Amino acid sequence: MQQRRQEEEIGIDLAPMLDFVLNLLIFFIITTSFVKEAGISVDRPEALTAEFHESGNILIAIRSNGDIWMDRRQVELREVRPIVERLHIERPDDTVVVIGDKAAPAALLAQVMDEVKLGGIDEVSVGAAHAGG
Amino acid sequence: MPARRHVREKRGESTGIDLAPMLDFVMNLLIFFIITAVFAKELGIDVSRPSAGIGAATKEAGSLLITVRANGDILIDERLVDIRAVRANVERMHALKPENGVMIAAEGSAGTGLLVQVVDQVRQGGVRNVSFGTAR
Repeated sequence: MQQRRQEEEIGIDLAPMLDFVLNLLIFFIITTSFVKEAGISVDRPEALTAEFHESGNILIAIRSNGDIWMDRRQVELREVRPIVERLHIERPDDTVVVIGDKAAPAALLAQVMDEVKLGGIDEVSVGAAHAGG
Repeated sequence: MPARRHVREKRGESTGIDLAPMLDFVMNLLIFFIITAVFAKELGIDVSRPSAGIGAATKEAGSLLITVRANGDILIDERLVDIRAVRANVERMHALKPENGVMIAAEGSAGTGLLVQVVDQVRQGGVRNVSFGTAR
C-alpha cells in the first residue's frame, strides 16, 4: 500500500503544461504569416536604409533577363494582376515586396508595381539587401 | 475488499488517456511555427509609385527631380552629378524645404540596382517621400 501511493505521487501532472503549450501554439499559428515565396533568388540591390517588412509576404522576383517569378513559378507580366487579386482576396492584409535584380530594367519594375496596384494592393515596396551584408 | 480495490484501480488507469504522444506532436507543431515565424520578414525600401499609373513622370511643384539615365548618368535638375553627390543635394533641398518630396524619373532600361542606390541616397539625405516614374 505504502509503495503504491508513493508511485502515484511521483507521476507529474502534464495537464497544466499542455495548456500552456497549446496556448503558445495558438499564438504562433495566429501571428505567423505564410510567405508566398518567389521561388528564385536574385542579386538584390543593396541599400543602407532598407527596413524589415513584417507583413511583406507576397514576393515577386524580377530576374536580370526580365523573367518574373512569383508563387514559385515563372509568370507573364499580364498574369501578375489576376494572381495578386486572388491572393488579396484570400488574405487582405498581405503586402507585396517586388525584388528586382540589380540588372533588371527599371521599366519592368515600374510595370510590375503598377500591376500589383491595379490588383488591389497599394502597399508595394522594393526589395533590397543591407549594404555589405 | 483488497481484491475489489485492485479492480477499481486498474480500471481507473486504463480509462486515463496517455498524453505523452499528443504532447510530442504539439511540441513539434510549436517548434515548426516558431521557426517559420522568425523567417517571415522581408527587407525592402518603400518607394511610392504615382497612382496615375502608366504615363510619363510629371514633376510636382517644388519637388526635386532626379533623372536616372540608362547609361548610368544621374541628373539633378538637368545637371549631371555623381551618385555620391545625390545625398548632399537632397540634404540641401531638405534643409530649405522640409515638406517637399523627391521625384525620380528613370529611363526604362536603367538598372534596378542604380535606381535603388539613388533611392537609398535620397533616404539617407533625410527625405522619406520618394516616388519614381519611368520615361520611355
